[in-house]
Parts: sequence; C-alpha cells; structure tokens
Amino acid sequence: MKYRVFFLLSSLFLFAGCESTSNIKKSVAYKGIYEEKPISILLMPPINKSTNVEAKEYFHSTLLVPLANKGYYVVPPFLSMEILKRESAYDAELFLNDPIANFGEVFGADVAVFTIIHSWNKTYGNVKVEVEYIIKSTKSNSILFERKGTINFNTTVSGTAGAYGALFDMLLTAASTIATKYVDVARICNTYTFKDLPTGKYGVFNPLEPDELSGKKVFSANLNSQTK
Amino acid sequence: MKNLWLFSIIGFLSTSCVSKKDLYFWDKYDVSSYLYLKNNNEQSAQELIATYESIIVKQNEIRKVVPPGIYADYGFILMQNGKVEKGNLMLQKEIELYPESKIFIDRIIKMQEK
Repeated sequence: MKYRVFFLLSSLFLFAGCESTSNIKKSVAYKGIYEEKPISILLMPPINKSTNVEAKEYFHSTLLVPLANKGYYVVPPFLSMEILKRESAYDAELFLNDPIANFGEVFGADVAVFTIIHSWNKTYGNVKVEVEYIIKSTKSNSILFERKGTINFNTTVSGTAGAYGALFDMLLTAASTIATKYVDVARICNTYTFKDLPTGKYGVFNPLEPDELSGKKVFSANLNSQTK
Repeated sequence: MKNLWLFSIIGFLSTSCVSKKDLYFWDKYDVSSYLYLKNNNEQSAQELIATYESIIVKQNEIRKVVPPGIYADYGFILMQNGKVEKGNLMLQKEIELYPESKIFIDRIIKMQEK
C-alpha cells in the first residue's frame, strides 16, 4: 500500500513540471507547418495591449532564442526592426489581418511571428501575463500556429543566478536586476509556448514528432525562472 | 525487487520531462539585447557587442555554429559604430552560414553602398 501511495505521489510531482497536452496530434494541429515547411521567421514587433509600457521590449528581445533553438532561421531582429521602422511597418497590428506577402519578398521570410501581450499584472512575488502568439505564412497567408496563454510567473524563485551565474547576478544594479527579472518572465513565456512548435530545418530531426500530442491552443501555466 | 520496479518507472517519467541541450550557446543575449533595445546608448551597444563576440567564439552546444541572426546584427551594430568594413564582413558571414538570409542581407548591403 505504502509503495502505491509513494508511486502515485512521485508521479504527480514529476508530471507537475510537464506541459499539459491536448488530444490532437502535432501533425493535425500544425498541419500547415508540416505542409509548408517554413525555414525563415520574421519577428514582428510585439503588440502591447497591456498597461506595462516596457512589456513590448521584454518580449521582443526574447523571441530570437526559443525560435532559433527550435531549428528555424530567424531574420536578424535588430536589422529587421530598423527596416520595419524605415518602411513605416513597425506597428504590427496593421498587418495582423492583411496579406503579408511583402514581408516574404523584402525579408526572405516564410512566416512572420505576431506576439500580442493582452495583459501584464504584477502582484507581490507574482506576474500574471496573458499573451498570444500567431505564426502567419507569407506564402499562403494562413495562420500556421496559434496559442494563447495565461501565465502565472512566480518571481520569488531565483533563476537568474542559474542562467547567468551568481557573480553576474551580484554585479547587477538593483534597477537592472528588476529589468532582468521581467526579461526572464518574457523569455520563459516565449520558450514555454514555442516548445510545442514543430522542429525546423536546423533542429534535431525526430521522426516521431508528428505523432506527439500538441499543447493546448488556449492554456494556462504556473511557471518560474527555473522552468525549462 | 519491488523497489527496483518503482524506481525504474519514476526514472523513466523524470527523464521524459528533462529538457535537452540547446542548439546554440547564447551567453546573456536576452538581457543585453533588451538593454540595447531600451536604452540604445554607447554603454548598451558595447555590452551587446561583447555578448555577440562571446556567442561567436564560445559555440559548443549541439550545432557548434553561430546562431541565426547573430553575425548580421553584430555587423549592423558595428556599422552603426563606424566599423563599416568589419560590419560588411559579418553580413557576408551570415549569408555563408545561412543562405536563406541572402535576399535580405543583399538588400542591406545595397542600401549601405548608396
């Protein structure tokens, strides 16, 4: 009996860190991605509907890493931002519902990532973020990936030290420590959501991936800076 | 025997949740790029340049090559800081490593030449 209780408790504890999945296979949920096989991704400046004016920069600066780590070519973020500004295309909201074939021609991008920050609310030791991600094809104009998350982020769990080393953490000023903490929030929201994206050209090929269950399209999660 | 069975299952469950090694090494890219995006001053530019240089020389993750966008953005920041020749060289390296970048990078190079 005590073995059974121990086994059940251990399993619950271990699964608590894993993402809850839908009952839809990735090959169905992300059919468009498996068909179009996009290689290069353009990062659109995030659309900030929250009351935190800096949320846009938190998310913008942390999109490259998870998408490149999934094996995609990401159009250089600072260079593309410069061109988007020059071409008066910095307001991504203008293109959310319009054809985006031009972005394919100018940037050589197969898809564009739109990030919509719906809300960012701070309470002591916690940040609650509602964020939506849309990946849209520049070729078919179809939406190939769409997930919306309500994420509770526990900021009292120290993770910056783990990511960059204790010494680096100590050397940061108080102001930049706060900034670093919120960059961490956005980084982990992005990483958690894009973990579900099918692997791109430069990623490690997994023939079983299309049969894996996809993450929920609308999800909620409790994360902290140690979430991988 | 019972213990062995239980620990085997728990071991299997735990490994299924453990994250794998990343494709690339990023150093403190997220923070450096955020500070540059926010402040866009000499100090943040120098910090970002130092991060790019670290990323370029310390790749030891799965792919062991410089991640997408790094050579090109490094070149762009160098150009903005007056190092046009070295900046151009970095843009060329982006195309060599990632041929899909050619459409965009060629456009940037032409814009620089005007």
